[in-house]
Amino acid sequence: MFGPRIVGDNGIELRPPVLEDYKVFTGWQMQPEVTRFWGPRFSTETTATAEERFKRHLESNDSVSWSIAYGGETVGFTGIFDISWTDRDGETGIFIGRHDLYGKGIASEAVRLRMAFIWNEMRLHRAHNWIALANQGSWRANQKSGYSQIGTYPRSWFRSGEWFDEWLGEAFPSTFPADKLPSPWRDKHHPK
Amino acid sequence: MEDDLPAYSRWMADMRVRRAAGVWHQPAMPATWKERLKEQAKEQRSVLWSIEADGRLVGLARARVGGVESPPSAHLQHFIIDPDEWRKGYGWDAALALHRYFFDYLDLKRSGTELRGDNVAALRIAEKLGYTEFGRGHQVHYRDGSYVDESWMLMERAAWDEGFGKTEREYVPFGSAR
Repeated sequence: MFGPRIVGDNGIELRPPVLEDYKVFTGWQMQPEVTRFWGPRFSTETTATAEERFKRHLESNDSVSWSIAYGGETVGFTGIFDISWTDRDGETGIFIGRHDLYGKGIASEAVRLRMAFIWNEMRLHRAHNWIALANQGSWRANQKSGYSQIGTYPRSWFRSGEWFDEWLGEAFPSTFPADKLPSPWRDKHHPK
Repeated sequence: MEDDLPAYSRWMADMRVRRAAGVWHQPAMPATWKERLKEQAKEQRSVLWSIEADGRLVGLARARVGGVESPPSAHLQHFIIDPDEWRKGYGWDAALALHRYFFDYLDLKRSGTELRGDNVAALRIAEKLGYTEFGRGHQVHYRDGSYVDESWMLMERAAWDEGFGKTEREYVPFGSAR
């Protein structure tokens, strides 16, 4: 499934992906700056497989995916995957493909919007994630929206001459900071 | 073997199994199970075993094996003993044989698994093998009207070598006789 459009602050929004976004991803995936903390440093992706992946994500019954837009331009992806509808739990992820935009708070805002949707529209009970421990920007972005660390997976993968550990986190509806609830959910509770 | 499939289906439908751990697949008609077995046989990185005791089928185990940018490792996804055969020691014997395969045959560097926080028997086996908890998910699995935690566990090669490396090898090392 693709998620709906959710407008956030500072020109950042989540929106349902289009095929062109998936084609751009193919290029991002091969950039060393972007893959420093994420994914394998090789790819089997082509335009044809990007189309297949787009279709697979669209038709998936256990995931919700968004493109992240900044100033109207797609700059990354986020979503929740491997949802267990029995446990009401899923694994979240985020990927900013434009490394020239790192440090602008795009991930923090995207995570805030994503989690507000997950708790208020999907009625999930829990979300969890794995993030490179060295990628402080990413796990801090998740912490701001209620994630806390529940473990460390040692020596998860090898890159640039050293082993990387992973930060394991989880979040619940009750851990989302109430004062950060975005529109439209905020408007519902605080009508103008 | 195809002959094992009716037992697989029976176990997946057994509430005792479902309470203890996640099932490999949901119960299904024989034709569906045959298709699943066919798909499993094509897997390059996932290995399925039936567990036998005295010539009888008593369980199954399934693990993913891999590691390109990560340490060569196994991830034990399913380990199910027929509930009618519980408390006979088959779980420990099968787990020991399985880990000999991981470390003595495949020379893997680690093995990981997730266990439900109240699956005392599985946790005891894991601990005895040398697994340690590296993370704990809270209120992860819902069954029987409430949530249960999940323990994420890891066993390093060094733990195998220390605990079982001298006693559980299939053959005595060639050493200087080679």
